[in-house]
Order: sequence, then C-alpha cells, then structure tokens
Amino acid sequence: MAISDLAIIKRSLTARMFSAVTTVITVAVAVALMLTLLSMRDSGKAAFERGTGNMHLLISRDSSPLVSVLNGVFYADPPARSIDAPKLSELRNKYQPAFSYFIPTQQGDSYRGMPVLATTEEFFSRFSPDPDFSPDDEETDGEPWQLAEGEFFDAPFEVVFGSTAAKETGVQVGDGIFVVHGTEVSRKAADTAEQFSPHVHKDFEYRVVGILEPTGSSHDRALFTDLTSSWIIHAHDRRQAEDPTVTETTVTDLTPQDALVTGIYGRVATRAGSNVSAAIPAILSQLRADTSITVAQPKEEIDTLFEIVGSIDQILIAMAAAVMVSSGIAIMLALYNSMEQRRRQVAILRVLGCSRGRIVVLVLIESALLGLFGALLGLAGAFIGSQVVASALKAQVGLVVEPLFDPTLTASVVVAAVLLGAIAGLAPAILAYRTSVSRNLRPIG
Amino acid sequence: MAAALDITDLRFRYPNTTADVVRIDRFTLASGEQALLTAASGEGKSTLLQLVAGLMDPGHGFIRVDGTDVHGLHGAKRDLFRGTKIGMIFQTFNLLQGFTAAENVMMALKFSPVPKGEHRARAVELLSTTGLDTPDREVTQLSVGQQQRVAVARAAATSPVLVLADEPTASLDPETGEAAMDLIQETCRSIGAALVCTSHDPAMASRFERRESLGALRGETASQGA
Repeated sequence: MAISDLAIIKRSLTARMFSAVTTVITVAVAVALMLTLLSMRDSGKAAFERGTGNMHLLISRDSSPLVSVLNGVFYADPPARSIDAPKLSELRNKYQPAFSYFIPTQQGDSYRGMPVLATTEEFFSRFSPDPDFSPDDEETDGEPWQLAEGEFFDAPFEVVFGSTAAKETGVQVGDGIFVVHGTEVSRKAADTAEQFSPHVHKDFEYRVVGILEPTGSSHDRALFTDLTSSWIIHAHDRRQAEDPTVTETTVTDLTPQDALVTGIYGRVATRAGSNVSAAIPAILSQLRADTSITVAQPKEEIDTLFEIVGSIDQILIAMAAAVMVSSGIAIMLALYNSMEQRRRQVAILRVLGCSRGRIVVLVLIESALLGLFGALLGLAGAFIGSQVVASALKAQVGLVVEPLFDPTLTASVVVAAVLLGAIAGLAPAILAYRTSVSRNLRPIG
Repeated sequence: MAAALDITDLRFRYPNTTADVVRIDRFTLASGEQALLTAASGEGKSTLLQLVAGLMDPGHGFIRVDGTDVHGLHGAKRDLFRGTKIGMIFQTFNLLQGFTAAENVMMALKFSPVPKGEHRARAVELLSTTGLDTPDREVTQLSVGQQQRVAVARAAATSPVLVLADEPTASLDPETGEAAMDLIQETCRSIGAALVCTSHDPAMASRFERRESLGALRGETASQGA
C-alpha cells in the first residue's frame, strides 16, 4: 500500500476544512443558481404553452388581455366580471360558425384551494393542453385528454379532478365533495366536509366521476364540472337571499341572469394539418371592435410575457455567471492564501523527490475538486431550489412548472464549474511551482 | 565502486555578491563513510548541503553522488535522483503536519522506484528499527525524540547512498542529542549510506573519525581529518 495523490489532497483539504467548505458552498450556490434559472426558463415557458393549449382566442370581461389569460387559463384569480347570457348568445350567433370550438367557462368556486372550472363537455372533446392537437383533423391521433380513472362528466353535479388536484386533496372516484365560493379564508375553512363555512355550497354535493392524467399544465390543479350545476348553486344563493325559506333550486329555477360565464375558449376553424388560420386577424379585429369584451390571443400574451421576463431572465443568467466567476475567484483566493501556509509542505515534498510538475498537478486537482464538490452540491441544491420555485409559482400564480434539467446543459454547467476550479488553481499552482525549497526549509543552519 | 560523494572545483555565490559562499577544490566521501562538517553560523554549511542535494545550482564545478553528476540531471530526473539516492535530516525535522509517522516515511517512498505494495510494510519496519512503535499516530502528537526517529526513518526509507544531516541536534537537549546522533549514525551504517553531518557543536567531534571545516576546504586552514 502506498500513499496516493488523492490522500495528499484530502489531507490538504481537511487541514483547511473551514476554508474548503466555505469555498465549496460558494461554488454550490453559483451552480445551483445557474441550473435553477436555466431549468425554470425552459420548463416555465413549456408550462405556459401547455396551459393555453390549442386555443386561438380567449374572450372575457377582464381588464386586459394578459390578465384574462392569467385568470382564465392559469387560475391566478377568479375573473371579476362575467359575460351574461344575452351577450354569450350574441357572440355565439355571430362567431360560432367560423370557430372550431367556442367553449364557455365559469370560475369562482373552489375546493380546498383548487379552482373549479365550470364548462361544457367540449372542453374535453375539443380543447387540448397540447398546442399541436387539431380537433378537426381526422388524422389527429389520440384524445385531447386522458383519464387516469373514471369518466368525463356528462350530468350536473359530476366533477372531474385534474391530476394534481386529486393528488393533493386525496379524493377518489365516487367521493362526494362540496365546493366553496369566495375567499381563501372560506376555502381553508372547508378543509373537511364537516367544517362548513357560510360560503360553502352545502346544499349541493358533487360526485367525483373522473381523475385526469397529468398534462403538465395549469389545468392539472383544477376541477371540472358542467356549467348548469355551477349556475344552479349560484341561483340557489340568490334565491335564498331573496327568500330565506327556499330550500331547493333546480334547473327550472334558472333565470337568464344566473347563466353567467367568465370566459370563452375559442379556436378558429383551420385546414387539416394546420394550427393557424388566415381568418384569425379579421375575426380578432371584429371582436376587438366590441368594447364590452376583452379579447386575448393567449399565445401572443405568453410571448409578450416572456419577452418582458426574458430580459430579466438574461440579466439573472448573467448574474449567475458572474457569481460563478466570483466563486472561481474564491477558490483561487482560498488556495492562494493557503499556499502561504503550504510552502514548507511543498518544499518538503520537493526534498523527498516530488517534481515541480507533480506539485502543480496536485494543486490543480485540488482546485478542480473544490469545483467538482461545489458543482455536485449545487446540482442537489438546484433540484431542491427548482422544486421550491415551482411550488411557489403554483401557489402564487397557479402556474404548474415541472422543473426540467436538460442533461447536456446540466453536464455543461458541472464541467464548467470543474474547469473554473482548475483555472482558479493556476495562480496558486504557479506559486507552488516557484516555491523555493531552500528558503522554506529554514532554519537549517 | 564510485564514491558516495565527489566534489570537484565547486564555487557558489549568491546573486549580487562578490565573495564565494562555498569554495571547495576537492572533497570525496567513500561509500558508507561518515564525516562531520563544521563551520560557524552563516558560513555556508546549509548552502553546501542544498547544492549536494541538487536544490541549488553551483556557479562552477561538479558534484557527483554515487558517480552521477547531480547538476547534469534536470527537472523531474534530478528530483527522482534526490528522492532515491539522497536522504535529508533537518534541525527542525520538517515532518509533514497532518500525516502520521508511517505516512511521513511512505511519502519518501512515494517518489522512489520502490514498488507501491511494499511502502507501508517498509515504513512500519523502519520506524520499528528506529524505536517507534506507533506508526499510525499523527506526527504532531509525538514527542520531540519520536519526531526525530520519524525524520531518521524517512531519510533512510529509500536506502540512499548518502544522508545529509543539517544540524540534527541543534534543537535538542544534550542527552536527547546524543541519542539522536547514535540513531543517525547507526541507521546509516546499517543501510550502508555515507553520512555528511553539519554542526557547530564541538562535542560532536569525538563521534566522527573524519572531520572537515568549510574554512579548511576553502584552503584557509589545514584539514582536521584523522
């Protein structure tokens, strides 16, 4: 058995444990920051695109197109204003012929913090989170939505859960649930069916009929039910407010003022194999002439959003690169300072027959190892960090982001950190190379 | 058989000085021979030993160790030659901190042609020969006398032809110093290495049959050799 180069390096590092650990942490923070930013940038945009799916237009009465997309597709907040039944009919009569689908949606209720989207069965048969899914193309393979369990709703008070919503609430097909209307406070109060708050629609029990496969979109954390049931429970609230003795409300009690929607998902008819239509600009222009509604092109809104975020993104990545370079400087400083203490060690090794070249290699391996340890720790940090960012995005803006670590990009960042470490070791290595043996073995006469 | 050390016409002076610090016309040391080199402090004893070890280059002359011109070798070859043929013992021992006694000895073997598989066993055996039975204790936990043993074992590890001991007893009390010198001289005899020991301690003279002063070698006074 002989003493190895790695054993020498290990002793060198453990002898300066504090300095080594702080240097590794510095590199780790830089690597984690870089990887998290790169990962979130790619997966963030992918998640946004999956949310808007294959729709071309979103009609609402929100204050701006971007807000309508964030609310209507990403469930940021329930839209504040509704489109009433006459307006919906007017729009439908005027535009539906040109559309591949024209799907009304209504938001405002929730179940244990998960938004409920009341819509029509077309939502599952025509709309798809896959932007490339063409519902009119006979050659299109597969279905727009996949069920993990159960079936889609086809009657009032049946509800289908998105995959995340099902996972987080633990509901099963066949369970009965009560949805709540109103604020976060009332949602939290209804964590169990027994803890009804005044805002819980306790007279109407929904039956869970299906659970969707994950789509990686914002819809994974939503619940889907039909518009009629949603209209009935709100009509019931209205009727009870007018007459507290009312105990039952059915579809026959609905008035036009109950039939409100908060958004319309629209896709203009396209030719087979195409995802765009030349008619979109003309339809858009006509729709925008109507000032009582807000019309958004979700894809364009997302692109605009990413243009705004993109420049910040580039600044952040430049900053992460700067942090990586400064972590390289930290390695250099740590080793350079330690070389002062190690001159005697270098001199002794030289006396024992170690060549200058080998001394240089030892220092370079040591600095590259600091880079490697930092990179591995940073990699672990990035996995955790991106999960934290992903859950924050989900909680704050309802964006479901699955952090994606591109293997090539991840490997590049790790290799860059190791190279940076090795480069940072050059100056200390040169110092070691130049160490005078005679001067550093004093006192010797 | 080549002399362990053969110095011819050696001159050395530091940059920007006018006088030679080392000037030796001729000095030879037979294989296994032991010599004491005396000089006052600052007279160039350490400089001479570093020239012999190839850690410094002379301005003029030749130093041959075991028949090889030390300064005819360059870079890693000279380092390998030093690591294999020359053992060095210092006043302050210059052990590697943070390493055990055995590892300090193994470090000398690391840069030699000795097969890797033998390093540990050889180090432990050498330490045992010098009287140290705690090879796995870190050197900072050892007494001064024990550290001296590690230094001697390390110098002898590669079975060098020449051991250079630079003031090996200067930081020891007289009693420990005596024991240390016994160990150094006995170890060199047992491995057949020649020994050059520098000292300004007059009490050392009786231990060596051959005694030289740097002044005499410079031609200033006669040799004190027996």
